[in-house]
Amino acid sequence: MTSAVTQLKEGFGGRISHFADERIAGKLMTMGVLPGSQLKVVRIAPFNGGYYLKVDGINVVVRHNEASSIMTTLDIE
Amino acid sequence: MNTIALAGNPNSGKSSLFNQLTGLRQKVANFPGVTVEKKFGKLQLPGGEEVMLIDLPGAYSLYPNSEDERVVLNALVNPADKNFPDAIVYVSDLTNLEKHLLLLTQLKDLGLPCLLALNMADVAERSGMTIDVGQLSDFLEIPVVLVSGRTGMNVEALKQAMADLMHSKSSTSPLYVPTTVEQKVARQVQQELGIENPYRALLVAHHAERLAHLTEAQKAAVRRICEAENFRSLPNQIAETMRRYERFTPVLQKAISRKAEKPTRTDGLDAILTQPILAPIIFFVVMFLVFQAIYAWAAYPMDWIETGFGWAAESLRANLPAGWFTDLLTEGVLTGLGGILVFVPQIAILFMLITILEEVGYMARAVFIFDKLMQQFGLNGRSVVALVAGGACAIPAIMSTRTIGNWRERLLTILATPLISCSARIPVYTVLIGFVVPPGRVLGIFNAQGMAFMGLYLLGIVAALGSAWVFKQFVKSSDPSWLVMQLPPYRLPVWRNVWHTIWEKTSAFVLEAGKVILVASIVLWGLASYGPSAKMAAAEAEATSIAQQQNLDETATADLVAAYRIEASYAGHLGKFIEPVIRPLGFDWKIGIALITSFAAREVFVATMATIYSIGSTNDEATIHDRLAEARNPQTGAKVYTAATAASLLIFYVFALQCMSTIAVVRRETGGWKWPIVQFSFMGVLAYLGSWVVFNLLG
Repeated sequence: MTSAVTQLKEGFGGRISHFADERIAGKLMTMGVLPGSQLKVVRIAPFNGGYYLKVDGINVVVRHNEASSIMTTLDIE
Repeated sequence: MNTIALAGNPNSGKSSLFNQLTGLRQKVANFPGVTVEKKFGKLQLPGGEEVMLIDLPGAYSLYPNSEDERVVLNALVNPADKNFPDAIVYVSDLTNLEKHLLLLTQLKDLGLPCLLALNMADVAERSGMTIDVGQLSDFLEIPVVLVSGRTGMNVEALKQAMADLMHSKSSTSPLYVPTTVEQKVARQVQQELGIENPYRALLVAHHAERLAHLTEAQKAAVRRICEAENFRSLPNQIAETMRRYERFTPVLQKAISRKAEKPTRTDGLDAILTQPILAPIIFFVVMFLVFQAIYAWAAYPMDWIETGFGWAAESLRANLPAGWFTDLLTEGVLTGLGGILVFVPQIAILFMLITILEEVGYMARAVFIFDKLMQQFGLNGRSVVALVAGGACAIPAIMSTRTIGNWRERLLTILATPLISCSARIPVYTVLIGFVVPPGRVLGIFNAQGMAFMGLYLLGIVAALGSAWVFKQFVKSSDPSWLVMQLPPYRLPVWRNVWHTIWEKTSAFVLEAGKVILVASIVLWGLASYGPSAKMAAAEAEATSIAQQQNLDETATADLVAAYRIEASYAGHLGKFIEPVIRPLGFDWKIGIALITSFAAREVFVATMATIYSIGSTNDEATIHDRLAEARNPQTGAKVYTAATAASLLIFYVFALQCMSTIAVVRRETGGWKWPIVQFSFMGVLAYLGSWVVFNLLG
């Protein structure tokens, strides 16, 4: 099952499957946020604010709009 | 002289390494046409060769997403560019190497001689990380050196490797193999534009429209080639990026070994520092401390500077023959120089604190916390810092906006910041507030004048955010607003970097904004000391005879002469000239003169009023307040300083851009006169309307 990062709660994560938006994909990938990367939502700022993500050990902040185009598959543990 | 460029991702510690390599010999300029800083400096390599080292802005790839990255692309894609390097030292954060190699693989494919400096080797070692340098070097076919910009470890070895790099002629094989379509496009662009390197041709195909060095005909040619081959930039860019990662990631996995991950110090701190309720509280406590520091610590050196310049003026006057030249030196030049240097303590302290917060990694968190709120006003999370610092002084606050990457957000911050009440407005508020609010208490506990003071500050804050919102509607941005930002791990600051920033910012202010301030203060001095000579002589004679009639002592006589002289001066004429314009606000020509002279700095208002009311020898605010309270209109006999006039004047000083230093700094930071003029007019209209409304409501 894939879900956008904006559907995840703090503390949850998964593996990035793909990006819903090419432009945003271009920006994120240069920073090493790639399909296949391990992602966790560390913190969501209130009032639809930014997303603080941990991706393969690096900390990245994105806005709601960018987060909504990152698609993840949940880990089955 | 050969040029070596330092390239690497933001947060790679590039600047620390640059400071290690060049020391204080570095210079700062702007890249052409943009406000991206370009740092460069000479460096002597082992063997005696001297090279020019350029610190390129941080970039993640040659597919630019920011102004900084566009500068890097422009410098590297055009061999005729004056910033085009002969070789590259690629700086990479060893602790995050998996995410920091993309740009290097692109630079290598451009055929530039490269050297990889694995920075933060000390941090990596402490965290138990090891790397097989040989394996990595074999794969990349370039030299690899472990260094630390923080401790200076292996910097000599790096210099040696740089010297060797300048003389090696070995070329490396491209790391990325282009697709058939990419090859076709690249080959045609190569032929059309005479480009030797295939990857450079491919980049030109991607970016032709935004490359400044291409002619319109060349751009059209590239467009034709791309259309004929059905070449679409974005999907190819994504595929290329993915393929590059796929090439080097397996190699890194073999070369690097890490200890099992454990929760880091950063995770622990962020659990508190980004917590939704605590975060804003902590931020405002930190900002309050910054504000206090600028305010309290800077007061002492500012006092010394003012006293020092006062003393210098006195001794010049005592030792030089009286005359216009001495007056020009003491009242024009020395006042101007003092007016420049008096800002230095505030600038130095603000940048010390901001750089520490930046180095520690806290600023990036502030952006995360306030981004959403600030976005409503068209600002950026970092704008909060400038707005808070503006409470002390707009000059360093505006200079601090350089860290805001998005040009529109930065411009709006620059436009909003001077509306925050700065410390120079305090003397004006102090003198005038007594006319509006009688001393006493509100609800039995709060000091009424203190409340009014706070009200003026709040008015400034509302005006700042409100005008940011207004400008947001007019200033359009070509780039859609977005935010993707790495949060660096928390680290201790590198003091060398802090000192470098302080030195660079203060010298930039003194040398560049200082020129404008000096010229303006000489002009203002001329206006206030000269007038039509017959009128000046008549005014002086009249004042002297009145003084004799009234048997005034020497000081009182001098005060009276000064008062008559300023009325007869060009500034006095100007004050009378603008009187019809400011009359609806309740201002007379005397206030008009003070408005003109206080353009040098708002606090000059108080001194000018003292001179006009012939108490120039005092600078006690309470005395001046009492003297103003007695002032009456010669025709009607009505009091000049009614509550309405004083309130109107207060509102004027809250809104108006009465500060030539701010204008000089805005001109420097926005690269032209357009924005300072817009800002001056906007704030002037706001001040005029605000004062008019208040005067008519109360009057």
